[in-house]
Amino acid sequence: VTACSPCVVNSSMLCRKYTVLPPPRDKEEKAMLDSMLRVDHAGEYGANCIYAGQMAVLGRTQSGPLIQNMWDQEKIHLQKFNEILGENRVRPTVMLPLWNIAGFLLGASTALLGKEGAMACTVAVEESISEHYNSQIRALMEEDPDRYTELLQLIKEFRDDEMEHHDTGLEHDAESVPGYMILKTLIQAGCKAAIYISQRI
Amino acid sequence: MAALIRSLRAVRSLRGLGSAVVATTCPASLYGGLRRGFHRAALLASDSKSDQTVPPPSHHEHYQAQEPRQGSSTFSTEQASASDPGTQHEDPWPNTSYQDQSGEQAEDYETEDQLQARILTAALEFVPQHGWTVEAIAAGAETLGLSAASAGMFDNGAGDLVLHFVGQCNVQLTEILAEEHNQVQLGQAEKKKTADFLRHAVETRLRMLVPYIDTWPQAMSLLLLPHNIPESLKHLSTLVDDIWYYAGDRSTDMSWYTRRAALTGIYNTTELVMVQDSSPDFEETWVFLDNRIRDVVNMANTAKQVQATGEAVVQGLMGAAVTLKNITGVNQRR
Repeated sequence: VTACSPCVVNSSMLCRKYTVLPPPRDKEEKAMLDSMLRVDHAGEYGANCIYAGQMAVLGRTQSGPLIQNMWDQEKIHLQKFNEILGENRVRPTVMLPLWNIAGFLLGASTALLGKEGAMACTVAVEESISEHYNSQIRALMEEDPDRYTELLQLIKEFRDDEMEHHDTGLEHDAESVPGYMILKTLIQAGCKAAIYISQRI
Repeated sequence: MAALIRSLRAVRSLRGLGSAVVATTCPASLYGGLRRGFHRAALLASDSKSDQTVPPPSHHEHYQAQEPRQGSSTFSTEQASASDPGTQHEDPWPNTSYQDQSGEQAEDYETEDQLQARILTAALEFVPQHGWTVEAIAAGAETLGLSAASAGMFDNGAGDLVLHFVGQCNVQLTEILAEEHNQVQLGQAEKKKTADFLRHAVETRLRMLVPYIDTWPQAMSLLLLPHNIPESLKHLSTLVDDIWYYAGDRSTDMSWYTRRAALTGIYNTTELVMVQDSSPDFEETWVFLDNRIRDVVNMANTAKQVQATGEAVVQGLMGAAVTLKNITGVNQRR
């Protein structure tokens, strides 16, 4: 069963004719940007799959529309990264099938703990992703903020969306799931490992 | 007089060697400096054999433009002698700087890499005669007016020559594909179907081997030597990535990997068929290529069909399960 497939979103809102990245000036810059975009793409792909898992379990309950909303936003992010990767000849990470299965299982298993479990998972993952985007923003600002203005704008926008999901999760009783701290720590450790691996392969 | 000039040049080269060891201008620092010193010694040795060289006309402007920028004293003696109308202008360093005057170099001749590329390109015409060997490189160096000993610059010997050739062919192929892509964009040419495009790209690339096809097995074995494998794999992967990019592949999932793996297989096997093909104009090779591409396309189509069938089967099973639940009353909502 394929849980994740890039959905058919109305791409007119994403229709931009310019590229987000500056043309690379040497191999090191290309390698750095490749690695950043690869891990960002993997992150959005994973988030997509996590929401798909959650919907599979909780889709028909009251929290269905809420999760669907957040999932739709993630789909837009994934679409954008797909475009950027294609335009800039960035290699996607070879771990994608693994992230597909792992993400779906994570989403489904936390959703089995109920709505609070799903929200806790959302909080943990979105916090990891926001932290990761923040560190990328810091790195790019240190390098050369003028050169990467558009990329910085894009990452900031996505980071704000992820923070919004994080706050939504907290609003909807994420912290009331039993074992919240353990669950959160475990999930965030997994996310860190996934980010580390995706940057490299 | 000539002896005086030669001894001046010997001093200059020694100083050059010394400064090369000390200078930190090149990124490979010490080793690069030593090689540059070796390069200058090679040039010096060759020049002592040749007659007076007439310096290229831009030589003076080049040196004079460099003068205000020169911090080091390395070239002060050359500048003194260059602007001295009395001495003969026998310039041991041919001014072949391709970069513009504001380039990163402090020395005003071409970089190590550019010189090596020139020597290797010149060496290619001797490959049918000497094979992929250091002798071919030495012969190439001699046609450029350098000493045969400058082949010692290449610590990887024949491997460098083969890798240079492979890289050059890949660059040529990319230029051809980019040009064709432009023409399609401008509407001057029809867009090819993927299978045709792949066939055309692989054939174009393999045809570049035709002048060297007799010695190509030797080159292939050189590329498979353990210390050459990383770089030859890099060349192969950039080749395959370029071909797929211009074929229009913008995928960002596992098919990125499967497509490139398939094309690598096609390219390598066709290359192997080509080296032992004796048919006129390698017809059998192109037929083999056609068949392999058709195989891959069929496999891709079959995979798609299998996936569609699988999905349909799963839908059917789900429907059957729901029906069963309804019949047995498990699905009742009270």
